[in-house]
Amino acid sequence: MAHLRSLEALGCGALLGLLMAGYSLFTARGTSTLFVPPEDVALVNQQPISRSDYLLQLQTLYNVDLLHSTAAQRRRVLDDMIREELFVQRGRELDVASTDPDVRAAIVNAVEQEIAADAVTSQPSESQLRAYYASHQARYAGEGIMTLRDYVFPPGESRAAAQAAAALKISAPTPALLAQWHASDSGKVSGEEFYFAAKIHLGEPLFEAARNLSDGGVSAPIARPDAIHVLYMLENRKPVPMDFAAARDQVLTDYRNDAIERLRTGDEAFLRKRANILIADDIRR
Amino acid sequence: MRISLFLAAVACITAAVLMHTSRLEGRLLRTDPNAIPSSTALMGFARGRGEALFEAYCTGCHGTRGEADTARGIPDLTGGDWLFGTGSVSDIEQIIKYGIRSHHPKAWNLAIMPAYATAQPSVRDDKIPPLSPGNIGDLAEFLTREQGQSADAAAADRGAALFAGAGGCYDCHAADGKGDSAIGAPNLTDRITLYGDGSREALSMSIAYGRHGMCPAWMTRISAAGIREVALFVYSLSHPHGAPAAAPGDG
Repeated sequence: MAHLRSLEALGCGALLGLLMAGYSLFTARGTSTLFVPPEDVALVNQQPISRSDYLLQLQTLYNVDLLHSTAAQRRRVLDDMIREELFVQRGRELDVASTDPDVRAAIVNAVEQEIAADAVTSQPSESQLRAYYASHQARYAGEGIMTLRDYVFPPGESRAAAQAAAALKISAPTPALLAQWHASDSGKVSGEEFYFAAKIHLGEPLFEAARNLSDGGVSAPIARPDAIHVLYMLENRKPVPMDFAAARDQVLTDYRNDAIERLRTGDEAFLRKRANILIADDIRR
Repeated sequence: MRISLFLAAVACITAAVLMHTSRLEGRLLRTDPNAIPSSTALMGFARGRGEALFEAYCTGCHGTRGEADTARGIPDLTGGDWLFGTGSVSDIEQIIKYGIRSHHPKAWNLAIMPAYATAQPSVRDDKIPPLSPGNIGDLAEFLTREQGQSADAAAADRGAALFAGAGGCYDCHAADGKGDSAIGAPNLTDRITLYGDGSREALSMSIAYGRHGMCPAWMTRISAAGIREVALFVYSLSHPHGAPAAAPGDG
C-alpha cells in the first residue's frame, strides 16, 4: 500500500515537473521573475527598464519629477519605453543588424565605448601624466604668432625686388619707398596672425620663408606665379613650449586617447584571433 | 550545542541585517530621488555608503570633499553653482551614471569649448572660424569687463561684437553671457571659474586652446543603488544642513 502511494506521489511530481517545463518552453513568460527589481520600473521579457531612465524621460518630456507628474504622464512615458523595448527585442529577433547600416554603426560604436570604459574610468596619477608629458613634449606648445608685410612686385621686376629687399634691411618701409619700386602690399596677411592662419593666407612656400625671419628681418625675393614677393617681418613670436600645468588638460586627454586606442587595438586583435574568417580566393589574391 | 546555537544566532542576525539593508536599498531606489533629502532615515542610510563609494571612485579628481581645483578644471561640488543641470539629486545621478563628454550617447556631450587658436577650432562644427590673437585679446577684455573689472573700453567693445557675432560665443554662452546649464555652458559674467583664476591670461588660454573636461560614465562600474548613494552624498556636500525648504505648493 505504502509502495503504491509513493509511486503515486512520484507520478504526480513527474507530471507537475513536465507541466512546468512545458509552460516554460512554450510561453515567453515561462521563466519570468515575478518581482521587478527596485532599480527598474518594469521588466519586458525579463529586460529591465531602468527607473532612472524613466525619471529622465519624464523630466525631458514633461519637465516634471515623479512627485509632480500626473498618472497620465507616467503611463505615457512607461508605455513609450515598453514599446521601445519590445521593438528592440523584435529587432534582435529579425536580426536587423545584419542589414541596417545605422544599427550596425550604433552597435560598433557601443562596443567601442564598452572597450574604452576601463581607460575612461581610470584616473592616471600625476606622475604618470608628467611622464607622458615628458615623452611627448613636442606636442605641447602654444601657437606661434607673426606680424609681417608681404610686398609684391610685378613678375618682371626681379631687379627692383632685390633692391627693395636690400633697402628694407636698412630702413623700415614707407609708402614713398614702395612706390619707388612699384611695389604694393599683397594684403594676404593683416595684423597679428597665428602661424596656422599665416600659412593658409600666404601658402606653404612663403610661410616657410617667413617663419624663420627674426623681428625686422627681410626675405630674399621669392618668385611665385602671381608675382615676386618680399616678406618683411615686423614681429615673430615663435611657438613657446607649454609647461605641464598649462598643458595638463590636453595631456590628460591625449593620455586617455592613447590608452583607449591601445585597448581597441588589443580587443580587435583578440576578436580577429578567435574569429573564423574565410576570404574568397579572388579577393585574397 | 552551544556553538550551534551561537552560529544560528549569528546567522539570524546577519540575515536580519542583510534584509534590513536590502529593504532600505529598495526604498532608496523606489523613492523619487529629489524627495530623498527630506527623509532623514534614507539620507542617513545613503550618505555614509555614498561617501565610501565617492572615496573609492571619485577622489582621484574631486578629492575627498569635492573641493574645486581650478588648475585642473575640477568643479566645486560644495558651492551649489552647477555647470551641468540644476544640482538636483536626479541631475547629479544622471551625471554619475552617464558622465560628461564620456562618449556615452546619454552623457552631457553637447558643449565643447572650441580651440580658437587652431586651424579648425571645433571638430564637430567646421563653420566655427579661427580667431586672430587680437580677436582673442579683445574677447578676454570684454569678459573681464563683464565680470565687473576695469577693462580697455575699445578692446572690450570689439570683443562684445565678436562675442555676439563672428566668434559665435553667444550660441552656447547666451547673448548675455550668462551661460546655459542645460548644455553645460558656463556663466561668464560671474567670478566663478572652472579653469584658472579668471585673469585675462587664463581667459585667453581657454579661448585659444579650448576646454573639454570629462567625467566618466559609471553605470557599468557602480550599481544602481550605489550611483544613487553617491548622488546623495554629492548633494549633501552643497546642502550640509539638509534639503532646502519646499516652496509653497510643492508636493
